[in-house]
Amino acid sequence: MTTSIVNTDKSFIAAEKPGKKKKKWQSYALLFILPSFLLYTLFVIVPTAGSVYLSFTSWDGISSDIRYIGFANFVEIFQSPRVQNALKNTLVMTITLVLLENIAAIAMALMVDKVRWFRNLFRSIFYFPTLLSGIVMGFVWAMILNYNFGVFNQILTSVGLGDYIVDWLGNPKYAMLSIILSTVWKGAGYYMIIYLAGLQGIPQELNEAASIDGAGGWQQFRHITFPLLAGSMTVCMVLSMISALKIFDQIAVMTDGGPGFETETLTYIIYKVGFGELRQGFGTALAMVLFLIILIITVIQVKFLQKREVQL
Amino acid sequence: MTMQTKRRITEIVLFVITLLVAVIFFFPIFFNLMSAFKSNAEIMRDAVALPKTLYLDSFKYLLTETEFPRAILNSLILTVVAIVAQVLIIPMAGYAIERRNARWTRLVFIYFLAGMMIPFQAYMIPLFKELRILGLYGSLAGPIMIYVAGAVGFGCLLYTSFVKGIPREIEEAAEIDGCSRYGIFWRIVFPLLGPVTASMVVLNGLGIWNDFLMPMLVLPSGQAKTMVVEIYRYIGEFSSRWDMIFAGTAMSVVPVLIVFIFLQKYFVKGIASGATKG
Repeated sequence: MTTSIVNTDKSFIAAEKPGKKKKKWQSYALLFILPSFLLYTLFVIVPTAGSVYLSFTSWDGISSDIRYIGFANFVEIFQSPRVQNALKNTLVMTITLVLLENIAAIAMALMVDKVRWFRNLFRSIFYFPTLLSGIVMGFVWAMILNYNFGVFNQILTSVGLGDYIVDWLGNPKYAMLSIILSTVWKGAGYYMIIYLAGLQGIPQELNEAASIDGAGGWQQFRHITFPLLAGSMTVCMVLSMISALKIFDQIAVMTDGGPGFETETLTYIIYKVGFGELRQGFGTALAMVLFLIILIITVIQVKFLQKREVQL
Repeated sequence: MTMQTKRRITEIVLFVITLLVAVIFFFPIFFNLMSAFKSNAEIMRDAVALPKTLYLDSFKYLLTETEFPRAILNSLILTVVAIVAQVLIIPMAGYAIERRNARWTRLVFIYFLAGMMIPFQAYMIPLFKELRILGLYGSLAGPIMIYVAGAVGFGCLLYTSFVKGIPREIEEAAEIDGCSRYGIFWRIVFPLLGPVTASMVVLNGLGIWNDFLMPMLVLPSGQAKTMVVEIYRYIGEFSSRWDMIFAGTAMSVVPVLIVFIFLQKYFVKGIASGATKG
C-alpha cells in the first residue's frame, strides 16, 4: 500500500486494477440510486407527464373517453372571468404575503436578536406556528374570526369598538385579508429563523463603530443591518413567494374559495375544477400554468443567486 | 438621565413590545388547547373565558363514537413508515451521486433537482388514476411511496452537500480492510450524517403529519383517512360541534408541541442548511 492510495479518488482508482474497481463502484452507485430513481420517476415524473398530456384533453376524470381538444383549455383560461379572478387573487395574495411575511420576519428576528430576557422562548413562540397544519390552524383562526361567537369580535366589543365588527370571513372585502393575516401568523416564523442566522452573521464591530460615529438605532438598521441582510432576503423572498403561490389549506377551511368564487386562487381552482366539478382536463391545464409560474421564478432565482455569488 | 438608565429603559420597552407580540402569536394555540376542554355551550357563550371545569366529553366522544382513532393510527403509520423509507432510500442516493461523480450521476442529480420545482398540484390529477392502475389505491402503500418520491429532490440536495464534507480517507481505509460499499455507507458514512438525517426526519415528518391534500385525494372515501383530513371532514359535517373539532385539533397539535420541545435544535438547523442551499 503506497501513499497514493489514500490521496484522492482518482489516484486510488489508478493505483490498482482500475477497470475492476471502477466497475464495482459503478454497480454500487446504480444500486444506491435506483430505488430513489424509480419512485421519483413513477410518482412525480410520470404523473407530471400525464398532466401535460391531459391538459390538451376534455377528460372528466372518470370516463374512458379522453378527447384531444388542442389548446381549447388554455384559451378558456384566458377568457374565463372566474379564472381571471383566481389569477388576480393569486397575484394580490402572493405580493401581499411576501411583503408582510418578510417585514414581520425581519421585525421578529430583530426583536429576538436584541431582546435581553427569554430570547429562546420568544424565538420558539414565533417559530412554532410554522410547524402546524394549515387545516388545523385555519379552523382555529376561523373560530377566532367567527362573526357571532368569535374571540376577535368579542374583544372589539369589550374595548368599545363594537361598531367595527364585521363578518371577517363571510364578507368578500375582508375574507382575503383574513386569510392573508392568518397565513402571515403561520409562515413568518420560518423566515425569521433565516433572518436571525443572517443577523448573527453581521460583525458586531460595524454597529459599534457606527454608534461611536453617532448613528442612531434607525440609521444603523437602515445603513448596516438592512443591506447586510440582502442575502437572507433573496432566499426568504423566493421561498415565501413559492409557498404563497401554493397556499391551499387555509382557503379550504376558512372560506372554501367563497363567498362565491371571491377567494379562489390558482391552486384552489385547480382542485375545485378537477375534483369538485370533474373537469380534470381543464384542471391540469391550470396546473400547467402554476408549474410554469414556479419554473420562471426558480430560474430567475438561480440566475440572481449566481450573480450574487460572483459579487461576493 | 444617564446613559445607563437610558439603555435600561430601551431594554425594558423592547422586552414589553416583544412580549406583547409573543402573546398575540401564542394566543391561537392557547385558544385551541383551552377550547378543547370546554363544552359547546361554554364556547358559544364566552369564547375568551377559561374552561370552568375540565370538560372531557368531546375527547371521549371523538375516541369512541367516531372513526377518529383509526385516523390517528393512519397518520402515525403514514408518518413513521414514510420517514423510515425516506431514510433508507434517499441518503444512499445522495451519497452515490456525490461520490461516484460520473456524467450519468450528474445527470440524475439534475433530474432529481428538477422535481423540486414541480408543485404537487401539477401532478395530483393523473396520480389518482395511476394509483388505481398500479393497484395501490385504497392502501397506505400508495401515499407512502408518493411521500418518498416527493422528498427525493430536496433530500439528495441536502445529502450530497453534506457527504462532500466527509473526508474520503475514512472510506478508503475501510475499503482496504475489505468492507463493501454497502457496508462502508451504512456503517461508516451514514452515522456521520446523523445531524442531516435528524433534520430531514423532523421537518419531513411534520410535513407528512400535517399533510392534507394528498391523503384526502388518494385515500378511499367512506372510511377514516388521516387526522387532518378527518378534522376537515368534521368541520363540514358537525359544523355545530365546535367542542369536538377543538378536541381533534388539540390532539393534532399536542404531539407536534412535544416533538418540538425535545428536538428543537434540529428544526432550526434544518431550516438554516436548507435555506443556504435552497
